[in-house]
Amino acid sequence: MAGYRAEDDYDYLFKVVLIGDSGVGKSNLLSRFTRNEFNLESKSTIGVEFATRSLNVDGKVIKAQIWDTAGQERYRAITSAYYRGAVGALLVYDVTRRTTFENVERWLKELRDHTDPNIVVMLIGNKSDLRHLVAIPTDDGREFAEKESLYFMETSALEATNVESAFAEVLTQIYRIVSKKAVETGDDAAAAASAPGKGEKINIKDDVSAMKRPGCCSN
Amino acid sequence: MRNGREGDRGREAGEGSGETPAGNSSLNLEWRFNQTLRNVQGLLKGRTFPGKILLTRKSEPHNDPVSLEPSPELGRSYSENELGSSESINSGSEGSAQVSGDMINNTKLQKTKSSITFGEGSSPDVQRSISEGRSTDSARLTKFTKELSGQTVVLENLRELAWSGIPPYMRPNIWRLLLGYAPPNSDRREGVLARKRREYLECVSLYYDIPDSERSDDEITMLRQIAVDCPRTVPDVTFFQHALVQKSLERILYTWAIRHPASGYVQGINDLVTPFLIVFLSEHLSGNVEDWSISDLSPDKISNVEADCYWCLSKLLDGMQDHYTFAQPGIQRLVFKLKELVRRIDEPVSKHMEEQGLEFLQFAFRWFNCLLIREIPFHLVTRLWDTYLAEGDALPEFLVYIFASFLLTWSDALQKYDFQEMVMFLQHLPTHGWTHQELEMVLSRAYMWHAMFNSSPSHLAS
Repeated sequence: MAGYRAEDDYDYLFKVVLIGDSGVGKSNLLSRFTRNEFNLESKSTIGVEFATRSLNVDGKVIKAQIWDTAGQERYRAITSAYYRGAVGALLVYDVTRRTTFENVERWLKELRDHTDPNIVVMLIGNKSDLRHLVAIPTDDGREFAEKESLYFMETSALEATNVESAFAEVLTQIYRIVSKKAVETGDDAAAAASAPGKGEKINIKDDVSAMKRPGCCSN
Repeated sequence: MRNGREGDRGREAGEGSGETPAGNSSLNLEWRFNQTLRNVQGLLKGRTFPGKILLTRKSEPHNDPVSLEPSPELGRSYSENELGSSESINSGSEGSAQVSGDMINNTKLQKTKSSITFGEGSSPDVQRSISEGRSTDSARLTKFTKELSGQTVVLENLRELAWSGIPPYMRPNIWRLLLGYAPPNSDRREGVLARKRREYLECVSLYYDIPDSERSDDEITMLRQIAVDCPRTVPDVTFFQHALVQKSLERILYTWAIRHPASGYVQGINDLVTPFLIVFLSEHLSGNVEDWSISDLSPDKISNVEADCYWCLSKLLDGMQDHYTFAQPGIQRLVFKLKELVRRIDEPVSKHMEEQGLEFLQFAFRWFNCLLIREIPFHLVTRLWDTYLAEGDALPEFLVYIFASFLLTWSDALQKYDFQEMVMFLQHLPTHGWTHQELEMVLSRAYMWHAMFNSSPSHLAS
């Protein structure tokens, strides 16, 4: 367990959810980010799955606890329970399938119904490697993201393009908000903004104490 | 409790540990029951069976008694690569990322190295192996043959026999009977099957073979979802990737979904068709599944197999209607029962999981949704399903016992993990080296617990 302990030495723990239609590549984005792996033979996600990875932001260790959700509508009753406590979300569509982009609006509503209004959301057009099949021009994605005040990026989990930067950007933005809040309103509010859901009871303690450390934040 | 089950269960566990004296058919029920109890108690004392086996394999694979009699499954489970990853998981000394990496590599290696045998077309003697000895030994074969030979099959007797495993070549017929698809009366059987198969074809032409313009938006969405999932159905068994198999799968799922509007298609139901496909195709194709060529079959045969899959899927899911309706209340209810049962059986694990904030829904949801197909090697699935189908209407309740037994296979390991490690571990359980033995242990123990707790139902009052 020693390896885990060392890895668990973090300053912040952020819960992030991956949402979007079925088959857009959520699970592969997650495995690319957390294990640098891509699996062409991946199975559909049933309910939720989970992985973590730590990143350095402004000299702080940020641990991302990422919940990957099933894309089918039938599972929303189950998966929306995992939105609670999320401080970041990657809303993914498939640049080759228009319906997955059309459904982004519904996903956004779903997210806003279940999460804190300050949640950092990034719209992601995945499968950018399939250049000859692109059905959603980059500008359409960007335009929608601007209209809805979302961050935006096109990625390819297959070619490992932008995957790292997408997650890093989301985590950095969360960190900025949280550390700013810690300065402006005191630790409790900041802690509340990133309080994980019930599933991570133990981590809350760590998290709250971690939140107290960055009294003088760097930005 | 069904009569006679104790006998089969007891014998099963005895064989698993290699302790059963020869000629065990003459042993009395009590001895067998005690034997099972002893095995199960051994497990409960922390001598976790799969972990021990894996470690034994690692250090002295040739001394393992099981290896004395080679079989495709055993050859497969001794591959070095699998040992490596089993060990890293059991020791828990490596980062979780490393563990899952190993497992994924293994899956790929397995695919090229392993052969999956569903043993149709060769004689029972050739198929015989220690792990499947019970389902193919001659006494059992005689019993099965006797049960099937009467003019009317007595389903209760057949269930008792089938619970402990069905000889592969009898499986198609017996599954059709157990599910109530084929009638017990042999005079009517062919006629009923022929009619049902025609009926399926009519449904397909009515619902599936139509242009999208005749479908509602919801139906188009559903068909699209099915099309997304078919290529992702048991992708590590390449046979399922064949275009004809994919098409069959799509037709079965879509037709089923249209005819069951309360639930419609739900992801994971695609997995549930695969054991039926394998078993019913095994009537027409022999040898390794990976070598099967579906193009060798006539369209008539394929359509019969498809029809059988459709009806058997329907029958199976009839008993689990609310597992796939909105919010999946049936699954939520069973997950709750599982949590309660585990609390009764293994207080320390249960307490640890609760302290860590681990919800049963976070891992057991998929177990109930896909009936464990995602959690064990595919070559063991049909054996597991023998027990499922033998349970009949009692299956949903019995799943709780099987899954408790499955979970507590790793009772020791779980208590060492924190929340995050537990979630990751339970998402990628180290079962890839499993043989029939580990599975039989899970089932025997489930049987024992069912016998113990079912007599005091208030233990599980919701």
